[in-house]
Amino acid sequence: MTQEVKTRPLNRLKSMYALRAEVDKMYQVGGEAKAKGRPVAWVMLEGWANPILNAMDVITVYPENYSSLCAAQKLAGPFLERAETEGYPTHLCGYARACVGYSARMVELDGQIPPEAPAGGMPRPNLLISSAEVCDARFKWFQSLGRYFDAPVWTLESPSPNARESLTPGTYERNTQFLINEIRQFVVFLEKLLGKKMEWDKLDFTSDGTNEINRLRWEINQLRKARPCPMHTRDFWSVMSAALYRGAADPTVIVDGNQKMYDEVKYRVDHGIAAINRPEKYRMSFEGLAPWHSLSFLDDLADRGWNFVCESAYSPGRPVVIDLSKVSDPIERYVRKRYRSLASAIEIEFGPEEAPKVKEEIMREGTSYRLRLKHIRDYQCDGVVLHVLLSCRAASSGLSLFSDQLLDVYKVPSLIIEGDIIDTSLFNPVESLKKAEAFEDTMDHYKKVRKNLGFEW
Amino acid sequence: MVIATKKGLARVQELYQDRPQRVKELKAEGKKIIGYLCIYPVTEMMTALDIVPYRVLGDMRESITKADAYLPPVVCPFLRSCLDQGLKGKYDFLDGMVTSHICDVGSSLSGIWHYTVKTPFHYNIDTPHTVHETALNQTKGVMKAFQKALEDFAGKKITNAKLKKAIILHNEQRALVREAYELKKQDPPLISGAETLKTIKVIQSIPVAEGNALLRDIISEVKTRKNKPAKKNARLLVWGSILDDTPLIEMIESLDANVVMDDTCVGSRPFFDDVKITPDPIDGLAQHYLVDIKCPRTFRARDFYAAKKNYMEDLKTRFSYLSDYAREWKANGVILQSVRYCDTHGYEVPQVRDYLREIDLPGIYLEHDYTVGALAPLKTRVQGFLEIIG
Ligand code: SF4
Ligand code: SF4
Repeated sequence: MTQEVKTRPLNRLKSMYALRAEVDKMYQVGGEAKAKGRPVAWVMLEGWANPILNAMDVITVYPENYSSLCAAQKLAGPFLERAETEGYPTHLCGYARACVGYSARMVELDGQIPPEAPAGGMPRPNLLISSAEVCDARFKWFQSLGRYFDAPVWTLESPSPNARESLTPGTYERNTQFLINEIRQFVVFLEKLLGKKMEWDKLDFTSDGTNEINRLRWEINQLRKARPCPMHTRDFWSVMSAALYRGAADPTVIVDGNQKMYDEVKYRVDHGIAAINRPEKYRMSFEGLAPWHSLSFLDDLADRGWNFVCESAYSPGRPVVIDLSKVSDPIERYVRKRYRSLASAIEIEFGPEEAPKVKEEIMREGTSYRLRLKHIRDYQCDGVVLHVLLSCRAASSGLSLFSDQLLDVYKVPSLIIEGDIIDTSLFNPVESLKKAEAFEDTMDHYKKVRKNLGFEW
Repeated sequence: MVIATKKGLARVQELYQDRPQRVKELKAEGKKIIGYLCIYPVTEMMTALDIVPYRVLGDMRESITKADAYLPPVVCPFLRSCLDQGLKGKYDFLDGMVTSHICDVGSSLSGIWHYTVKTPFHYNIDTPHTVHETALNQTKGVMKAFQKALEDFAGKKITNAKLKKAIILHNEQRALVREAYELKKQDPPLISGAETLKTIKVIQSIPVAEGNALLRDIISEVKTRKNKPAKKNARLLVWGSILDDTPLIEMIESLDANVVMDDTCVGSRPFFDDVKITPDPIDGLAQHYLVDIKCPRTFRARDFYAAKKNYMEDLKTRFSYLSDYAREWKANGVILQSVRYCDTHGYEVPQVRDYLREIDLPGIYLEHDYTVGALAPLKTRVQGFLEIIG
């Protein structure tokens, strides 16, 4: 009797492991550098600080990433509990609470890394770089760390206009100047603090590296539109850390890793190889942040033919192609290379026929379903998973409207899964799997509805 | 023109029970009414255009039934309630809605409101998050853009002279509110916490000039009235997130405590600093809205450039006004309160508590879900706290 060999549901990319290892090294590198007296910054993920800090030879580690690492190893619990005893409400961001708990432990141990900390732990910070981008937690959390460390905190400002105001004449240029001026002030702060001058050539090097990494990530994501999709969300999440939380890693190493990944994904596309070892029955988008403690839940779904082909968070934007040969100011060059106006993004993404409609829609309604749902259309999704997080307002507050519009416009249904990025107690995998099974009927139904309405997928 | 028959606190009570009454009358007379969310929209510009600014609030006495479809239960229940009211048509009289980047959900709500409630004019002010010099300059630019949008809507220009006049009128209101709060320094206070909250809520629902007249009436009335609040053992300062109705304050004041001072935004927060009169009025407005209003949504620090942070010094810079409040209003305890899911206030709580410990002022933290029903268990906790502070 032949024995049936059951393959794993996910067909993971080999190139992912090398990139992932670069992130894991971050904590070890941080610890070693700290021991040698080099300044270490804890940095909130955001687009602007890392190349500048690296150009100033500051070692960067990312508490947000570290908290997810603790969660993935199911070691975040005690840090969360500690944050609660420190008086932090339990609805606050799980990353933040784990970090607060970690910091409190560190203080208790006289600045030493807690022995229970995974991956070598984060070394005590010399400076804290928070961000006004994306969520309130980013700067409120780092401000809170003042309770534990005497490190100065810089909150890097960044404009966050709503879509309609973004399209108002003058907004883009004003916001560009704001970023330029803010980064200039940030460099002054660093120069004073570190007692050395910024080497602008180095900034060109680190920022060009970052741009190249993002370009490759964007190209890889374009390849994921193929049927079957060659790269699963789990691989995307595993390697996004190498780009977003690069730490002090040499950008050329990360560029190289992403190039290899591009080649592998391209090979899969050319040879019809899927990201799951099952027939691709449902093409899915994951909306919201990952349940780091329960990622194997997605493997269970892959086993049922669910291929997660795109996701709402951490996706790289289309690279900015712009002639900056006449811009002599390095900070202005740095900003303009990456900061794109919403108007131009719409023009490039939608083309001359559809772009005016998108803009008109935004001016009239404040939002555009075409813009918000574009990835669902581009990647031809059959359904989306909405991960509603108890502890993250930024990622959860727009989900209901999104799912409403999605069903209305593209007849794509959403499955709501309640959970958390960190806190295992808020996610019920058995219950969620049951819901997912039942959801397949809904997706099948809407596949027919789309077909009857003449949709492309 | 409709003439109000009631005066002072009786008029407050009347409008508290039917908040839009007055603006609906004005709308019938042809005035434009613009709603604003939280205290960051520049209401002076509305007044300068003869538009009535009307504070958009929720209703904690009414269940949320319509907003669920657009805002999940894991976000600020106050904002959910505001949207719910909007979706139920309670704000249909508004000609416009102005929001600002107060917090993550406040910002999301702005877009959701625009899309679902469809108030004719809509604008979101992208207020920066720090008091860096760059942020102050940015605020000026952002305000000028808002001014332009408002002018386009109104079909007329705001001259510097008009804006200055509006600032003076609003400053007059700020001064009158402070004068009313002065009356709470007495023991017992001449005006209760619940009456104060109602008054603030009402003056944010009528034209500023009418609010000023009403405040004058109230000030003279409470100085002479017989049925003033009773003397109590505890004199409390209430700190925290939005509190736009009286049940929590009434619950506290039903015990052996008077709420004599607050640091909340339907309370002292928008009124305790004047807008400075500057040659370009935008300069004074930007300074006020970004720097002077002390809401935790803005990141502040003692010295951004210092090589080392001194936590206690930092706390003093950020919170010494609380110590001033406690000293001047002779508060012997602090209630820190926040609606559940408010991140900006949630992160602040341990730090405010550290500061209160440093100045030796007892405090208790209450988290609530913006419903009247959930207040009962909090009462036991407040009772326990009152026993501690003796
Ligand atoms: S986006 Fe959400 S999960 Fe991420 S740091 Fe902010 S609050 Fe936390
Ligand atoms: S209470 Fe908090 S979450 Fe709610 S609107 Fe105010 S700042 Fe935002």
